[in-house]
Parts: sequence; structure tokens; C-alpha cells
Amino acid sequence: MAGELQLFRLCRNVLGQVRNYHSTANLCAAAAAAAPAQKPKLMKKVEVYRWNPDQPEKKPYVQTYEIDLNDCNPMVLDALIKIKNEIDTTLTFRRSCREGICGSCAMNINGTNTLACISHMDRDVNKPLKIYPLPHMYVIKDLVPDMSNFYKQYTSIKPYLQRKNEPVAGKEQYVQSERDRSKLDGLYECILCACCSTSCPSYWWNGDKYLGPAVLMQGLNPGKAIAEIKKMLSGIAKKETPDIEPMSLHK
Amino acid sequence: MAVFLRATNRSLLRYVNPEKSLMLMARPVTMKVVEAPRKPIEDYDKFNTNLGRPLSPHLTIYKPQLTSFLSITHRGAGMALGGYLSIVGLGAIVLPSSIEQYIDALQGTGWFTHFILKMSIALPLCYHYINGIRHLSWDMGQLLTLKQVYSSGYVVLAASIISAFLLSL
Repeated sequence: MAGELQLFRLCRNVLGQVRNYHSTANLCAAAAAAAPAQKPKLMKKVEVYRWNPDQPEKKPYVQTYEIDLNDCNPMVLDALIKIKNEIDTTLTFRRSCREGICGSCAMNINGTNTLACISHMDRDVNKPLKIYPLPHMYVIKDLVPDMSNFYKQYTSIKPYLQRKNEPVAGKEQYVQSERDRSKLDGLYECILCACCSTSCPSYWWNGDKYLGPAVLMQGLNPGKAIAEIKKMLSGIAKKETPDIEPMSLHK
Repeated sequence: MAVFLRATNRSLLRYVNPEKSLMLMARPVTMKVVEAPRKPIEDYDKFNTNLGRPLSPHLTIYKPQLTSFLSITHRGAGMALGGYLSIVGLGAIVLPSSIEQYIDALQGTGWFTHFILKMSIALPLCYHYINGIRHLSWDMGQLLTLKQVYSSGYVVLAASIISAFLLSL
């Protein structure tokens, strides 16, 4: 009996897989049968900024592509990938995670800086989708700007927790209450896509001197972070003493 | 494989004369990680302009938003008020007659001209004043969520237009 049960347990998954296989086959057949009644084409114009370093005599220009919205996934990045795959392989842009956590596909879409992978395409076909690189940046190619200055500025602020007297590393741990830990929430989630910095006119005109909101604030609400720093500088607010002295184990 | 070769090589070397042996020429190669040489840091702008890279478009393509509009008009209103002050001050020094005479001259003009003249002073004044309060609240760390920034912006805009209108009547 026990042997049979074991056999059944083994076979159950196999049978399930076979069933899955058959049902997907049925689905595919059904989809193929329904193919003639496909959605009508919904052609949307996509206007993309182009510049090619291999043709420096040619000034930057806007190229218009047409894609079928009914044959494309909903995000702007999907449209760009579709264009690159099917229409124009020379179109150049950065992308990586396709879910808004890496910040690679930051660009100017319909006039505002945002991530292409998390912005929906407007299904209104009368309005073209306009895509430019991040504003006031040197263009390496098409939608790819040179971010080296931005990263250099980020390095310059030493964006990590620092102590006046750094103890020998690896000997003891730093201690922290849960409430103290929660004070860090919201201060380090910035993914450094540079959308906020490159939408800031002060950063446009003085990018060589001004570090810009992203680098200065390291939070998701740069304005709020500025205000908190101002309050501390002016003495209106004071830094709270931690619940547990973090260095207590080191003494 | 490399370890095997090295081991056999070494054990064989014990039995051959190193000076005459070909074994020494067939030494196994070991790989080492070497840091890439760092390029000297060049001036960012110079580097890019030398490469002929264009600057991406900015003012001309960025969407007008309430936030940016209110920010630039706050500066504009401040400059207008400063300009009025200097014009009145300079006028008091340069112009031949006293200020009462100019006001009397204005009495002769119509209601609409009065309204426009008053409005051109009252609107920047009201706007700069009320939006200044909004700025002070920001300095105190208040009204800084995106929603609050927008709603307070609409409130400031409405309040300044209404108060300027009432002052100009």
C-alpha cells in the first residue's frame, strides 16, 4: 500500500504536467482559430531624438516611427524595444531591469523626465509619443547621455554613514534599535536615475558647481530633505540621540 | 589541468638537468588579476565638447508645469517689485515735479487705466507676498508632499489673483 501511495505521489505531478501540456495545446489551437478576428491596428507615432557620433556633421534630429499599439506591450520601454527589434536596430538607449529599480532608462518622455519602463503609453493615437534624452546633458548617442559628471559628484559627497572615530572593522557589531533603523527609511532608496537633477534649471545652468537634488539629498523627497537639513543648520531642529549608543559594544 | 601540469612539471624537473632541459621553456602560465590603468580625469565639459557631443534639448522640450511656472513667476514678481521701487526712487531724484502732480495727472485718466496700473503693482505684490508664505512653510519642512505642493500652489494662485483684483478696484 505504502509503495502504491509513493508511486501515486510520483505520478501525480507527471500527470499534472501532461494535463497542463494538453490544455495549453488546446489554448494555442483556440488562439490560432481566433486569429482572423484580431484587434484592428492602432498605429501610434513615436518621435525619438536621434544623434549619431559617427556622423558628427549631421545635426541632432527627431525621427518618427509608427508602431501598432495592439501589437506592443503597454510601456514606453516596450515601444522602444519593439522599434529596435523590428524597425530600426540603430536606435540606442539604456535599459536593464524593466521594472523601475535600476534607473537606466531615465529619459524625457512627453516633456517630463521619467523612467521609460514604468510609464504607460497614452492610447490616444492622435498625440505622438515624444522621447528625448535627459535634458541638458551631453549626448553620447541617441537617448544615451554622459552621466560621468553626475556619478563623479555622487562620489564626491561620500554617500555612506561615517564616524569621527572609526573603530577596527570586524571586531564588534554596531547596535541599533528598530526605531533608530527606521529613521534611515526614505533616505537611501534613491536609484540615481538623475531624473530630478536633470529637470532642475539650476543644475542645467550650473551643473559644474551645483551638485543637484539627487546627489545632495539621497532621498525620495529632495525638497523635504533640504528643509530638514536647513532646520538642523539653523538650530530649529536637533539630531535625536539614538535609543542605543551604536558604539556601546566597542567600549 | 594547470595544477596537474605544474605538479608533473615540478616532479619531472627533479630528474633532468635544468640547463639542458626543454622543460623549462614549457613552463605553465599563471593568470593574475591586474587593475586597469586609470585614465587621467579630464574636464567634463572639455572632454565632451572635444568629442563634438551635442547638449540634449532642455527648456524647449520640457513640459510647462504648475510647479515650475510658480517658481519662475515668484522670481519674476520679485524682480518686478524691485524694479518698481528703483523706478520710483530714481524718479524722485530725476523727475522735475513732485509726486503729487503725477498722481493728479493720473486722476484725469479713465477707470480702466487705473485698474490696469493698480493691477500691475498689486498682482506681483500679492503673489510674491502669499507665495513667500508658502516658501517659508517649506523652510519649516511643511507642505512638501507632491500633492500638497500642487494644492497649495493653486490656493496661492487663486488667493493672489482675488486679492489683487479687490485691491485694484
